[in-house]
Amino acid sequence: MSAFLSYLVSGIAVGCGFALIGSGLVIIHRVTHVVNLSQGMYAVVAALSAATFLAAGLPHGVAELCAVLVAVVAGLLTGLVAIGRRGTTPLSSLIITFAVGIFAYAVEVLTWGDQPRSFPGLPGAIEIANVRVQEQYLLVVVASAAIFLALDLFFERAYLGKALSACSSNPYAARVVGIDVTRMGLFAFALGGALGGLAGVLLGPLRPTSFDSDVSLVIEGFAAAILGGLTRPILALMGGLLLGVAEAMVAGYVNGSYQTDVALVLMLAVMIGQTARRPSLDAEGQ
Amino acid sequence: MKRPPRTHRVVAVVAVVTLVLPAVLRESALSVYILLELAAIVTVGVSLLMGYAGQVSLGQAAFYASGANAAALLSLHGFPTGIGLLVAPIVAAVFALIVGIPLLRLRGHHLAFATLATQLIYLSMVGRMHLTGGDIGLQGIPPLTLGPFVLHADRNYAYLAWAALALVVLITHNVMTSRPGRALRALATSEVAAESSGVPVGRYKLAVFALAAGFAGLAGGIYAFYVGYVAPGSFPVLLSFEYVVMAVVGGLGTIEGALVGAALVTVVVQSLNQVATLGGMPSYAPIVLSYAAYSGLLIVAVLFLPQGIVDKERLRALATRWRARWTTPR
Repeated sequence: MSAFLSYLVSGIAVGCGFALIGSGLVIIHRVTHVVNLSQGMYAVVAALSAATFLAAGLPHGVAELCAVLVAVVAGLLTGLVAIGRRGTTPLSSLIITFAVGIFAYAVEVLTWGDQPRSFPGLPGAIEIANVRVQEQYLLVVVASAAIFLALDLFFERAYLGKALSACSSNPYAARVVGIDVTRMGLFAFALGGALGGLAGVLLGPLRPTSFDSDVSLVIEGFAAAILGGLTRPILALMGGLLLGVAEAMVAGYVNGSYQTDVALVLMLAVMIGQTARRPSLDAEGQ
Repeated sequence: MKRPPRTHRVVAVVAVVTLVLPAVLRESALSVYILLELAAIVTVGVSLLMGYAGQVSLGQAAFYASGANAAALLSLHGFPTGIGLLVAPIVAAVFALIVGIPLLRLRGHHLAFATLATQLIYLSMVGRMHLTGGDIGLQGIPPLTLGPFVLHADRNYAYLAWAALALVVLITHNVMTSRPGRALRALATSEVAAESSGVPVGRYKLAVFALAAGFAGLAGGIYAFYVGYVAPGSFPVLLSFEYVVMAVVGGLGTIEGALVGAALVTVVVQSLNQVATLGGMPSYAPIVLSYAAYSGLLIVAVLFLPQGIVDKERLRALATRWRARWTTPR
């Protein structure tokens, strides 16, 4: 029983990380219709930056914040290349974001080398119902809950958030009422960078990060997001939690090396299931 | 429809030059040349799939790997190596048929992610199976024996890959100029419109997916015999990325584009590699430069050369202008 609970907690924590990456994908996709294949890269960049900043003597909190800012810049740069040029189709932009992710490999290897790195998070562990839970897991869960709450408020209440939603529901009408759709797209990329970066600094102490961790991160984030049909961040949270727990259970009870395959197979099954339910004319209209 | 004779002349010149090259290239350049030919075989398929039929594949290296694994396994278990080479494209095509039936319902970015996922699942399965040697892979693959000829020298593999590439180009050309080719063109624009004009969309998409995979499997089979060992690490996601770069840089949907793209990208990356391995460069320089080169080329091509380097319209305009200049009486 206690083993089950500890798998559950670690699954929820890791799932929150997937959900953060997935919600970045969702926000960018909603506003620009681009699926951002470099979304995992922001987490990698943030985790590696955080390790460097901490090693340079910055206190916890400040180092992580700076690392997230680096990820925001990375997101903004991706957006500039992917949608900055007028007339780039979403599928071309997807290929560009893939290329940006690979380009980031070059920068990351130059800056941090090709070995995986980790950095300390919250060191302690507390006892809940006879189960030892690392405080870092709790931090991930609490921080993610706060972030998703803030996202929800942002999209419901803030003017900027409403403008972003306007761009996603009807770009033409948004432009008519004076919203700069391209600028909103860039903002979405920056926000996506921030969410990816947050995932990176939260998960960094839990799993070592190397420059090519981004492929599995973006796949897991996409799997989380696709469960909600790439439409709402909160559905990405549900998807992320489901995926994180499923992976932790498979790793705990079956075999650790199968856990990424769980994400992949789940993602394929969900995508195929969703397509089967949707008439093809709908899909082409997008 | 007869092709104009000028095209024949170009094809003949290219064929002669590429056949002479293996005889004059040095050892190290020859291995680059063979890998270029193999990449070109895969890229022709990718270009047909992405540019002509409008289906994205970011996991083409999985089919390359399946061909390599099939050829390696058969020849290590005592089958004639010729059978291994013959089976490699068939295995890859059947693999594509099996995954294609569910996956090809997906479109655009869903299909892109699904093909990427297919490759990751394939690699992790192969990395865990005893049969395929796990992460270490399969070693000691015998050289290819075709009838009385044992292919030992690199030069032989260069000619073998040349023949395979020629076959692939011929098949692709025939597909493109046939009735199914026009149907593919139509379904790339709108599947619904194609379907309502009587194109069996599902079956055609599956067929072209399997065909492109078969090309990749054939190249993979030759690769296995040429290199002599195959491991999951030989087929990273970056390899699939490489094929997309080559196809996009050259110009999607054309044979010339795929060939020029494969050649150009290989030459650029290899030249950078030469620079990076000069004395005084850090040990990580080659890998950093190749990442930067692949991604830089792809971004520039997508943004500024949407038709690729081999842009027929532009080339035709150039040719007309030149011809006008040469034929004007002085």
